[in-house]
Amino acid sequence: MTPAATQTRRAEFWLGVKEELPLQIGIIPFGLVFGILGLESGLTFWQTILMSSILFGGASQIVFAQLVATGTPAPVLIGSVSTINLRHVLYSISIADYIRALPLGWRIILGYLLTDEAYAVTIKRFQTQPSSAYMHYHLLGTGMTLWVVWQVSTITGALAGTSIPGNWQLGFAVPLTFLAIIAPNIKLRADLAAAIAAGTSAILLQFLPWNLWLIAAALIGIATGVIVNRNDAQAQSATNMPDRIE
Amino acid sequence: MLIWASIFICGFLTFLMRFLPISELMPKTMPQLWVEAMRFVPVAVLTAIIVPAILIPDGQQIMLSGNIRIPTAIIAICIALWTRSVVITLIAGMSCIWVLGWYFGI
Repeated sequence: MTPAATQTRRAEFWLGVKEELPLQIGIIPFGLVFGILGLESGLTFWQTILMSSILFGGASQIVFAQLVATGTPAPVLIGSVSTINLRHVLYSISIADYIRALPLGWRIILGYLLTDEAYAVTIKRFQTQPSSAYMHYHLLGTGMTLWVVWQVSTITGALAGTSIPGNWQLGFAVPLTFLAIIAPNIKLRADLAAAIAAGTSAILLQFLPWNLWLIAAALIGIATGVIVNRNDAQAQSATNMPDRIE
Repeated sequence: MLIWASIFICGFLTFLMRFLPISELMPKTMPQLWVEAMRFVPVAVLTAIIVPAILIPDGQQIMLSGNIRIPTAIIAICIALWTRSVVITLIAGMSCIWVLGWYFGI
């Protein structure tokens, strides 16, 4: 939104923080819900709150707690939680070009901080704003903002216990956040095709074990986007051909 | 103890998935197809999270009738397209779902 202000480390960092802040409206209730659910599912206080920094992935932490509650064996639990997070491989690949040249320490920190909400905000900056030498500070800003708010809200939820009513639909706040980010960014026919294919597959593939539906649906969506994009590009170059010859 | 071990293993695997593609193990240049595919990562992954959250609210079964998340999502999409604001969309969406839930006594 403010392309001119992205020249210094500090400007990039604070732009990331500023752009990440609105999403915290969804993160705070999500963290509270996880804090409460963790204790209810039989995890200890410390297991619940430290999972937020060791694992640092909201959806996978909720699945972890649910599987502990149902007495799932450890290998199935680990497989299931990890496949939920497989999508992060895609995020990491898609930012690789922008941050590959950074020192190892930086890449470890940014890898650790790479979550849905930080990625969704920063990838928009990477892809649509002019590059700068310090644009990795933007990801540091979004990631650290999310990290701090996630820890605080998880701890608060674990301390508050069951005093928050369950029928407030707080779990819906995060999907709503994603919807608010994605809907205005569907610009090409191929974007829409990718969304429809991914959404439909996510429903149809629910039967897959270990929550594999998520990564499978994501890959089908990406493949559909690429195919439609190539078709459209071909159709466009075909109609443009006479102009170019003249 | 087994739970602590599971937390650490899940944490380690999740970190590896986030870190390996930006580590030295990845090839320096990507094939053209990769580059094209990257544009669709956010829309594909996030839509795959959104749609089941709407249609399968309890995480178990598809729910079409009496599901207040469906009208809420449609209204939220319109507001998101119109305002392009995460804050306004979230506030309007959550207000909408509370009003519908209260009205229908859910």
